[in-house]
Amino acid sequence: MNSKVKTWLEDGTIDVFLGYKEIDHHPLPHCFTRERPDEVKDLVLSPARYPLEKIATHMVALEPGIKIGMLARDCNGRALNVLYLWNQLDPDNVNTLDVNCCPSRLKEHGDCSYLEPETVGAYKKQVGVDNNQRVEDMEDYGQTERLDRWMYEFQKCIKCYGCRNICPVCFCKECSLEHNELIGTGPLLPDVPVFHMVRAVHMAGRCIDCGLCEAACPMDIPLRLLYQKVNQIVIDLFNYETGTSVEQSPFSMLGDTVTLKPKPI
Amino acid sequence: MECKLVPSVCSYCGTGCGILFEVINGKIVSTLPMKTHPVNEGKLCIKGWNLHEHINSFMRLKQPLVKTFGRFIKTDWDEAIQLTAERFREIIEKYGPDSIGVLVSAKMTNEENYLAQKFARAVIGTNNVDHCARL
Amino acid sequence: MTVKRITFLQELLSLLGLEGRLGLSWISSAEAQKFVQVVTDFTEKIKSLGPNPLLAFSEKRKAAAVGLLSLGKEIVYEQQSQNLA
Repeated sequence: MNSKVKTWLEDGTIDVFLGYKEIDHHPLPHCFTRERPDEVKDLVLSPARYPLEKIATHMVALEPGIKIGMLARDCNGRALNVLYLWNQLDPDNVNTLDVNCCPSRLKEHGDCSYLEPETVGAYKKQVGVDNNQRVEDMEDYGQTERLDRWMYEFQKCIKCYGCRNICPVCFCKECSLEHNELIGTGPLLPDVPVFHMVRAVHMAGRCIDCGLCEAACPMDIPLRLLYQKVNQIVIDLFNYETGTSVEQSPFSMLGDTVTLKPKPI
Repeated sequence: MECKLVPSVCSYCGTGCGILFEVINGKIVSTLPMKTHPVNEGKLCIKGWNLHEHINSFMRLKQPLVKTFGRFIKTDWDEAIQLTAERFREIIEKYGPDSIGVLVSAKMTNEENYLAQKFARAVIGTNNVDHCARL
Repeated sequence: MTVKRITFLQELLSLLGLEGRLGLSWISSAEAQKFVQVVTDFTEKIKSLGPNPLLAFSEKRKAAAVGLLSLGKEIVYEQQSQNLA
């Protein structure tokens, strides 16, 4: 792994390499460059995940045309695919070093990235939504119970915008969540459930189910479950698997062919 | 292209969340939470998420200002501290030490807060010390 | 585009248990009859579904936000009753 990165840097395939380096026992994302070749031996696979592709988009925004190498797990790969489709990164300028999914004790858990299950308390299980639940199991609850449970979760929101800030596929310059005419932005208590629903709608055809939003949520709102539902709807309606499909998302404006019929009122 | 990711501690309150500054070409462009930090475990509040904005803000004070004839004039630290000390001494001599109060902040460390109360009690000679966390 | 978004939103709202409260229909400006029909049908449907369940939540939140302790008391009460149970 390390020698490959070194050769890439030396022969000019890439200008910078985004990986992880251990600093004071904290595995932190690190930018390896040609000027400091000795550092490459410190490249590690980190159990903590950071949105590396987000850092890459920031670099490309400041210096277009820079050649970036990246450590890519499955979720990073899917995020990169989405970013290519939305023209945020150029696939010709990105080289990935594909590695195994997250090192975890529980490899059998999880559908895509092997995240460890969240610890969920008894009270949350009783009145809220269990983070480790599967999307299909949500259907078991009745309509009113579903609303009550989701509202219990949404009402905890402290509007830190962490879910948006850490999201590797959130790149808009102007965000609807900060738009005063679309959503009540002023008061501290967010507009529930509008705030979360707006974000959920924007995640359609974009969310790659990496789970970073849920990990960054200080109030433990089961965001991943919400966006898994979003992804499920997109698959059911449009047969579009976000992150692995190569064509544009069904929600992009160009090349629109509609075969869908509106539901009868 | 110079890209660094610098671990640091959030300066907004006394909790001490671990953060990671994304520095590209010498400018902080973004803040990330530190996933392995024992205090915040990869989570941040809205203030922490926007730390890079106040660092780059054009409103930020980078040097002391002294109000003379109703206008703020830029000055250097030696002069500012000298002036403050002189004015303090004047006030203490005229009205007594209890006419001065010291307000400290949750944005500082415990040690700095300790020094501030020591300054108030030992140097100025007043017990008028308060902290924003006590309001 | 509209039909995609609306169908998607209908599905998403059903996750929250707000099924049937959103509809889409194309009516030309020449189709007065159809317009009347659609609006009447939808109004009846909405009436039969009852008031918006989200209103109860927003009222509670407003009460909590202006400093009335009603919400806090309720939560404490709920937790106590659960502890007893």
